[in-house]
Amino acid sequence: MNDATAPIAGAEAIAFTVNGRPITVAAAPAKRLAAALRDDLGLTGTKVGCDAGDCGACTVLIDGAQFCSCLVPLGRIAGSEVTTVEGLEFGPLQAAFHRHGAAQCGICAPGLLIAATDLLRHTPAPTEQEVADALGGVLCRCTGYRKIVDAVLDVGGDDGGKVPSSGAAVGARTVKVDGIAKLTGEARFGADAVPTGALWLKAVRAPYPARFTVGELGPLRAAHPGLVRVLAAADLPCNAFGIYPELRDQPVLADGLARYRGEAVLALVGDRDSLALVDAGSVPVSYEPIQAVHGLDAAMAKDAPRVQADKPGNLLVEGGVVSGDADRAWADCAALAEGVFETSAVEHAYIEPEAGWARRTGDRIEIHVSTQTPYMDRDETAHVLGLAPDQVRIVPTTCGGGFGGKLDLLVQPLIARAAWLEGRPVAWVLDRPESMAASTKRHAARITARIGADDEGRLRAASVDAVFDTGAYASWGPTVAGRVPIHGCGPYRLANVRARGRAYFTNTAPAGAFRGFGVPQTAIAHEALIDDLAASLNIDRLEIRSRNALRPGDRTATGQVLGDSVGLAACLEALLPDWHAALAEAEAFNAADPRSRRGVGIGCMWYGIGNTAPSNPSTMRLALSRDGTLTLYNGAVDIGQGSSTVLAQVVADTLGVPVDRVRMVVGDTDRTDDAGKTSASRQTFISGRAAQLAGEDLTQRILRLVNAGADASLDLDGPSLTVTDGGARHRIDLTALPEDADGAVLAGAGRFDPPTTPLDADGQGTPYATYAFAAQMAVVDVDLALGMTRPVYIHAAHDVGRAINPTLTEGQIHGGIAQGLGLALMEEYLPGRTENLHDYLIPTFCDMPGITVTLIEQAEPLGPFGAKGVGEPALIPTAPAILGAIRHATGVRVTRVPALPHRLRAAIRDMERANG
Amino acid sequence: MNAIQYEAPGSVEDAVALLAQANGEARVLAGGTDLLVQMRAGLVRPGLIVDVKKIFDMTLIAPDDGGFRIGAATCGERIGANNSLRAAWPGVVEAAKLIGSTQIQSRATIGGNLCNASPAADSVPAIIAAGGTCTVAGPDGRRDVAAGDIATGPGQTSLGKGEMVVDIRLPARPPRSGSAYLRFIPRTEMDIAVVGAGVCLSLDEGGVCTAARVTLGAVAPKVLVVEAAADALIGTPVDETALQALAAAASAACEPIDDIRGTVEFRTKVAGVLARRAAGIALERAGSN
Repeated sequence: MNDATAPIAGAEAIAFTVNGRPITVAAAPAKRLAAALRDDLGLTGTKVGCDAGDCGACTVLIDGAQFCSCLVPLGRIAGSEVTTVEGLEFGPLQAAFHRHGAAQCGICAPGLLIAATDLLRHTPAPTEQEVADALGGVLCRCTGYRKIVDAVLDVGGDDGGKVPSSGAAVGARTVKVDGIAKLTGEARFGADAVPTGALWLKAVRAPYPARFTVGELGPLRAAHPGLVRVLAAADLPCNAFGIYPELRDQPVLADGLARYRGEAVLALVGDRDSLALVDAGSVPVSYEPIQAVHGLDAAMAKDAPRVQADKPGNLLVEGGVVSGDADRAWADCAALAEGVFETSAVEHAYIEPEAGWARRTGDRIEIHVSTQTPYMDRDETAHVLGLAPDQVRIVPTTCGGGFGGKLDLLVQPLIARAAWLEGRPVAWVLDRPESMAASTKRHAARITARIGADDEGRLRAASVDAVFDTGAYASWGPTVAGRVPIHGCGPYRLANVRARGRAYFTNTAPAGAFRGFGVPQTAIAHEALIDDLAASLNIDRLEIRSRNALRPGDRTATGQVLGDSVGLAACLEALLPDWHAALAEAEAFNAADPRSRRGVGIGCMWYGIGNTAPSNPSTMRLALSRDGTLTLYNGAVDIGQGSSTVLAQVVADTLGVPVDRVRMVVGDTDRTDDAGKTSASRQTFISGRAAQLAGEDLTQRILRLVNAGADASLDLDGPSLTVTDGGARHRIDLTALPEDADGAVLAGAGRFDPPTTPLDADGQGTPYATYAFAAQMAVVDVDLALGMTRPVYIHAAHDVGRAINPTLTEGQIHGGIAQGLGLALMEEYLPGRTENLHDYLIPTFCDMPGITVTLIEQAEPLGPFGAKGVGEPALIPTAPAILGAIRHATGVRVTRVPALPHRLRAAIRDMERANG
Repeated sequence: MNAIQYEAPGSVEDAVALLAQANGEARVLAGGTDLLVQMRAGLVRPGLIVDVKKIFDMTLIAPDDGGFRIGAATCGERIGANNSLRAAWPGVVEAAKLIGSTQIQSRATIGGNLCNASPAADSVPAIIAAGGTCTVAGPDGRRDVAAGDIATGPGQTSLGKGEMVVDIRLPARPPRSGSAYLRFIPRTEMDIAVVGAGVCLSLDEGGVCTAARVTLGAVAPKVLVVEAAADALIGTPVDETALQALAAAASAACEPIDDIRGTVEFRTKVAGVLARRAAGIALERAGSN
């Protein structure tokens, strides 16, 4: 991996103004402004996402003009005036961001606010295009940009951010409980609160899959006195971790064999400046390339070398669902469609690279880290360190985007081990290329599918065989292989199904969890085949989906009988007027414009909420203290999607108090209970239900104190709690009640584990307690000569059960659409070639189409106030809808994504040739 | 790894002296948008950085013999904001405006774009199509160099030790002339050109093309000047037949590479399409002035 910029000798006193305050920094003139702001001045509101001018997170104003501060040498700004997010007043712009939920994880918010400030100074009433142009260099991975544009266009608009009255929080567009800190630069992300005097860690990573030996380290140590320790595989008490305790196949540090480019082989620990001076080439590790396995064909080849010695055939795992008899049913079909579809590895590209720091406190270790899963972090780190789980404390920082990528350990065990051994805090912040090379990816997939229908378009049988490139280690591969067969044939009534998922090891970065766990890849296949059937049976594409849509009471391929919350038909109905209008419009457009063709496509999906089959409970606790503070002890990490806000709304309405009365402790494993991982779209449904139960428990305890009936209402006013029961009013003086060890005078707890059953050998059972459903339609223009696709409009209809907070729900859908668009059109991770944000492209402002969101609320009885989940469902239908639209526009059925222009152009050429 | 010396001289002569006297590798820092990224990635390890942004003369756009003199350290934003330059050489201005996002535009310079010598640099095909020349200053004084002769290959320039580009000069625009630059990238903004095409053409009073230059970026180790494509226009009213011949000639001239951004076949095809579309825009502009 690459080295940091050489530290620059010859520190000079450089004077400039920051946020109106004259300052002098003693630093080398070639030091970057972003580093000086963060490290020398403690202004960590300025974020570093790429250090290469690609992401814009570090944007500041220099003499009134916005610029990426990572590309400015300090010498350049002597005498200049610099404004960072900390120097912006919290004004109408910030209020608009807050009101619109424009900051999800918030890592890009400082750069966006600076860019918007610059824009609004010149152009107080900008157009949408002007907003997109001015903010366009700041990447956001969460929001799909729509709420940001809305916010900038609505600066000074009506302040809808008022607190809803008691009992009216659920369903209201309440502002995010953690929103303001993300707009002032105060929110502390993984890299932002490293203690002074901490040691730093730097990994040495394999440049290619290789056997390696570590030479004599003496000269390296002698050359770098600040290097205090070099950790190798042998320095870890148990050098193995994994997602599944029975599948701990991944070493923290490779032990003589690095199975993929980017795997860590050594960890250097020392003072930060010394580490920066260590040139990767000077570390004595000699690599001998191995015969590497790249791609699914190589992994499945008969004589393929084994990526892991004990895994014959490189097979990690296989899962399947069989129902009815697909083989016999084919004969009854009037139409058959089949195809092979391939998808690429995809990078999460959260704007915050992995970061954290650890310190030892006696015989315990405390880890402050950006994570989606504090409890798994705790248990796996304890395992690696040879400690008991309760010796490890995870304190989640604000998480600058996860999307599944922060569901794996990365920095945790090494900073913990180093801090344990050194007795000093140890920090580690990955740089962008390192993050991209080392972290997990979305599984590249090859899906072979076949679907048959009768002459009325009713689906009779389907088979799916999905193979996934799981990379060098298991990570979440088993989850993908298990989830895919269940969802593999789409959200349709199908009596005869044979679905199989397999994951194969290769010598590439481990594929892990990424928003949808294999379902987005599979949806590309089944939706293309449904379009095939529609074409061959001459049925409208929306209509054929409607005829087959799962409905309440239907039996799924796993034999589960669905309950009431099955809103796919309603989603399709919601799209219908737009669908017909878009088809007509496309026809008119194509008659007028010879250069580009317009097409309309549609995609459907279903998604089981929560983990597949095994128990995945959440426990929430509520406490009322003597001063009347209501605290939710919430182990569910909010990674920007807004779970903390949703849980506060649920608690508020359960107790009947205003939502701003709910205080929160989030994710700290010493202070909260295990809420499970922030993944599988499960926190609103599962932790939301647990929070509701906790609220009900606390309410009952309060009512019991005064023998009030179940209909009584609460009024919390400082230390005085009033219970109104019919005509009777009871006043409880909280200061008179005894405190428990945590300082609570009244407490409630709730635990919810969604009712599921394990699947049998044929995949029969109840893998999920509930499912989300969605349909999206896309309109695209394709420039035929260039093979360039430009999405112009997407209408997304999602059955979310109940939108606890419509603004946040829409934000999830917008963000999912952006990632689905990236999957369909531009994103492809290639080790060694797209390890930065200028070669790996994610959508920017101008790539996003107009979006309409329709929320369908088919209440789920198990969910809190009827809610299900939306995080992953948001992105699954997008790629199928876009690909369907490309096909409608061009006639090309895309079988490999991303549909990069050169690929689509080649397919158009082939089709033109075939048609003479 | 040694420390880096940073200097910010106030004159071209001082900058040249620093560069000429450097022992190890010396680099000019203009906008920094390429150099600092390359240093971060460990691709270059200069011992000396000479910051030229404090050389006032190098950040100016000035009239020059009916044309323009653009200081090499002028950023894209300044170029975009210059109305008379935009009116005269819209192809150069639209190319300069494509270098990076708004967050980059206030720093990234036209001289840096030229001297970074990327075959995909956006401004270079447009400058060459416009007939731009550069002033190169060095230990032996100043010399004029055609803009197309600065880059010799990817990352390589014809500049000798101690030399740097001081300015880029665009001639007076001939009457009834138009210029345009188009590039293709797989997203809507902020990417490196898969193909770039610059066209500059002049018409006589009857609307017949009397002179043309067609340039292509990212399809060869350096920017291509495609004379056959220009010849396809000259003497014609730039009609459908001529545009088809131009596209064919542009495609035929390509010697691209296969990489993550596009195949050889794709780049070859796109070069023809873009050159043709750029010629169409240039034609329209020529007709309106």
